[in-house]
Amino acid sequence: MDLVDTYARWIKKNVDDPEMVRKLIILGLKAEHAYFSLFRDKQVPRSFNYLNKIGVEFILNPLIYRDQSAWVNLFAPTEILHAMDIYPLCIEAFSSFLVGFHCEDVYVDYAQRSGISDTLCSYHKGFIGAALTGLLPKPKFMITSSMLCDANISTFRYLSWYHHIPMYSIDVPLEYSQQSISYLEKQLREMVKMLEEATGKKMDEDKLKDVIKRENKIHAHMNRYIDALRYKCHPTTLTLEMYMLFINHTFMGTQPTLNFYEMLTNELDSFPHSRAKRVFWVHIVPFYPNALKRYFNYSHRYEILGLDLNFDYLEEMDYENPYRTLARKMLLNNNNGPYQRKVDSIMSIVDRLQPDGIIHFCQWGCKQSVGGMMLLKKALDERGIPFLALDGDGADRRNHHEGQINTRLEAFLEMLDK
Amino acid sequence: MIIGYICKYTPVKLLESMSIECVRIEPSYIDNGIAEAHMHPNVCTYVKGVLTEVFKGGYDGIILVNCCDSVRRLYDVLKNAEKGKMIYMLDLPRKSGDQSVAMYASEIKKLVQTFTDFYGKKFNAQDFIRYISTEQENAGQFNMPKGNDGIRLAIMGARCNSSLIDLLKKAGADEVLNYTCTGNLLNFKPLPDFSAGEQDIIEWYAGSLIRSIPCMRMADIDRRRDMLKDIMANVNGIVYHTIKFCEFYSYEYSYIKDNCRFPILKIETDFTQGSEGQLITRIGAFVESLKGSNNKVERPSHGTRKTIVAGIDSGSLSTDVVILDEDCNILSYSIVPTGASIVDSANKAFSQSLKRAGITPQDVSFIVSTGYGRINIPFANKQVTEITCHGKGAYFLNSNIRTIIDIGGQDSKVIRLDEDGNVVDFVMNDRCSAGTGRFLEVMAKALEIPLEKMGEEAEKATEDINITSICTVFAESEVISLIAQNKKRADIIKGLHNSVASKTIGLLDRLGRKGAYMMTGGVAKNRGVVEAIEQRIGDKVHIPAEPQMVGALGAAILALQEIKAKHVK
Ligand code: SF4
Ligand code: SF4
Ligand code: SF4
Repeated sequence: MDLVDTYARWIKKNVDDPEMVRKLIILGLKAEHAYFSLFRDKQVPRSFNYLNKIGVEFILNPLIYRDQSAWVNLFAPTEILHAMDIYPLCIEAFSSFLVGFHCEDVYVDYAQRSGISDTLCSYHKGFIGAALTGLLPKPKFMITSSMLCDANISTFRYLSWYHHIPMYSIDVPLEYSQQSISYLEKQLREMVKMLEEATGKKMDEDKLKDVIKRENKIHAHMNRYIDALRYKCHPTTLTLEMYMLFINHTFMGTQPTLNFYEMLTNELDSFPHSRAKRVFWVHIVPFYPNALKRYFNYSHRYEILGLDLNFDYLEEMDYENPYRTLARKMLLNNNNGPYQRKVDSIMSIVDRLQPDGIIHFCQWGCKQSVGGMMLLKKALDERGIPFLALDGDGADRRNHHEGQINTRLEAFLEMLDK
Repeated sequence: MIIGYICKYTPVKLLESMSIECVRIEPSYIDNGIAEAHMHPNVCTYVKGVLTEVFKGGYDGIILVNCCDSVRRLYDVLKNAEKGKMIYMLDLPRKSGDQSVAMYASEIKKLVQTFTDFYGKKFNAQDFIRYISTEQENAGQFNMPKGNDGIRLAIMGARCNSSLIDLLKKAGADEVLNYTCTGNLLNFKPLPDFSAGEQDIIEWYAGSLIRSIPCMRMADIDRRRDMLKDIMANVNGIVYHTIKFCEFYSYEYSYIKDNCRFPILKIETDFTQGSEGQLITRIGAFVESLKGSNNKVERPSHGTRKTIVAGIDSGSLSTDVVILDEDCNILSYSIVPTGASIVDSANKAFSQSLKRAGITPQDVSFIVSTGYGRINIPFANKQVTEITCHGKGAYFLNSNIRTIIDIGGQDSKVIRLDEDGNVVDFVMNDRCSAGTGRFLEVMAKALEIPLEKMGEEAEKATEDINITSICTVFAESEVISLIAQNKKRADIIKGLHNSVASKTIGLLDRLGRKGAYMMTGGVAKNRGVVEAIEQRIGDKVHIPAEPQMVGALGAAILALQEIKAKHVK
């Protein structure tokens, strides 16, 4: 704790010297990576130790190999980048790491001082600040999709103008139709052309097919994992849940992600039966609040089963038609289209996992999720499933109110215990 | 049949040709109870207003566009709550290539089909062509400057309603051009001829809509930069409008601010008509700065009987009066707390200062009023915003001043002056008491210490405490829990001073730093805050003998200039 604070103080002192801060951050991440390679956190399964290691690796790569990196949002089709050996740096993940280093405030403030609205999602503000101060090395390309939230296109376009770096916005229609599939497919092909120009690398479609084949294997493992979670449990941490979010999206289809899921399914049988109160989490989870850590980290009494965002697309994909299948994946994602689709998908995962309650996290500035929350509550009320909404901010501690979260969470858990 | 819609990309003309009446939804108030019961406090305030308006009734159907996250969720919520009504959302592509046009044309056809199924309304291509050609003839060119003299403003950014445009005019703009999504930004391609079939004409219309000047929600917005160039060539200043909890537009504001050297003022509203008072002050000051008034206070030569003028600053906490003679000598001043009645307080302060100067009201030849209550002062000859007045007053006291930091009871502002003392830029905090006198007042109460003792007490601090909450309400509970943790009062106070200082620096940095600095307003009397600010900017901050009087002093100087101008004429 104190070590991190000292570290944060160093970083903040050197905000005007971005090269220095970057070095500090890379050093910190390398130390963390070395730590997880050498020592094991015995409280969580082996596979989750591996997850921790690759999670750090994934964020380090684009910082180190900057001339082969691209900035992306969580829902960018990064399969394409993996096929071209380009390292993606994901906005949401990087901002989470800033929080880990206790220095998100200076970057959020920097963005706000530049005129960016203070009501913008802090994941975006932190990233914008990091990009404007030069902490983030300039990438070769930027990719964003309009899926999920408005901030994506706006943020990337702003940064692309600022840094004069080519970008591609993928416009994802709301509804699935032949027309929208081909609209998307055409955009993906156009994007790959631009990527080839910007990076000098060539797309090898066979490699893309391989990525998607691995993705299919991962989806199969994920389905097995979900079925096991119905009865079994394993201790975890909020941080690990967030790592899962990043490997399930930005690093989907990569070998390390597949390794992780293979390790995980091998361990499933050894997991004990769960006697905990089990909570399913909707939307992202902040990993720093003490109240949440106290109840959920390593706990056998209360468990987080997973985030809805982690199970947003589990279909078999047609690797022979890679672009088409990626287009289909975006259109049919549970988070695309009307909110009812999200409600339905949560209901079906509720059927599979049978949680005792649902917590919805209302991220500061995230209108797409909070705007529909009452509809989800209504649907869960009808099924008699307890629901709790927590307001806060996973990417800026200053919008987090420990006392408020603590009281609400405790009352909710007391309710589940009854 | 009345259909409510929100977006300029809605195929309104086509629906009208099917004799469907379309009304753009312009909510005048927000029922927060409804908004929170169905959505969340943090969705865009315009959307909350639309929700309120639709629940009030009066529409037979609603057509939305998947404009943004807030509107997408509005659709979901309305669809669920208003089961009997047609709630429709058009899936508007973000790009404008041929494929996008084809997609949007299909969307429009689906919409037409829904109207046919729902209400039996039929579409006829020839009716539409006839309708739209007469409409186009009548329309004329919007947003073309009329070419008369005076101050011309462009309003850009998030949608604005007609009352906001009126407000800009009330604040002194002679002409206002609307470039928000409620302005007329459509440009139609030449019409296909009358024999065009349904498919052709719908594609033509879809193309005209989608290829009009894009809003910030679209993906290809390069054309907005051309628009910006046009705007800058045609107007004196830009008022950039944002709506609370709408983020699309802050990006463009930031871009313009950093890349174009052009007068721009950012305002934020909730789309309805709240907070007019503060807005009109800010816009008024902006217009005044565009006019660039002449600042040199020429001290008139001695006459037989000296001219006497007064400035009166009617603030939310105190009402201040300064009496000046024509040589700019301060004859007297007075400060009284602003009570329930602005007029009574003004009368009281005015008569007090007259008494102190030993003169009667008849001796005063001109009175300028400023501050929140300035329009309500019956005996004032002229009203000027407190921004301009603070500029005048501070420059008069010290002509080296380039930055004024004013922290008053309810708001704080930073004003930038040029070498001649003209206001060239300024920022104000919006509707939030964080970092103001009010903030310290609340905290003083929580800490049970008189407000004026805080600066002194802070000197005893030994430990650094970081107050993280910015909002007054949360900071108060943070302070209470610090007391519970037995933290020293002096340390907490120092933490509070630092918090006010960093909020102020945030405001200052929106203008950029430039000395010399002067601080005005009640909080300037608090050494603790002043020192915390000085430390952060690494420069000295000048504090006038009576920091609260600077606004009234500026008003009195303006009164003197008025008299002088009259004499010249
Ligand atoms: S938290 Fe919400 S607003 Fe923020 S990036 Fe994620 S989806 Fe977008
Ligand atoms: S911002 Fe664009 S899409 Fe949204 S209502 Fe305005 S014009 Fe329509
Ligand atoms: S003001 Fe902004 S957030 Fe609100 S409806 Fe319009 S574009 Fe959407």
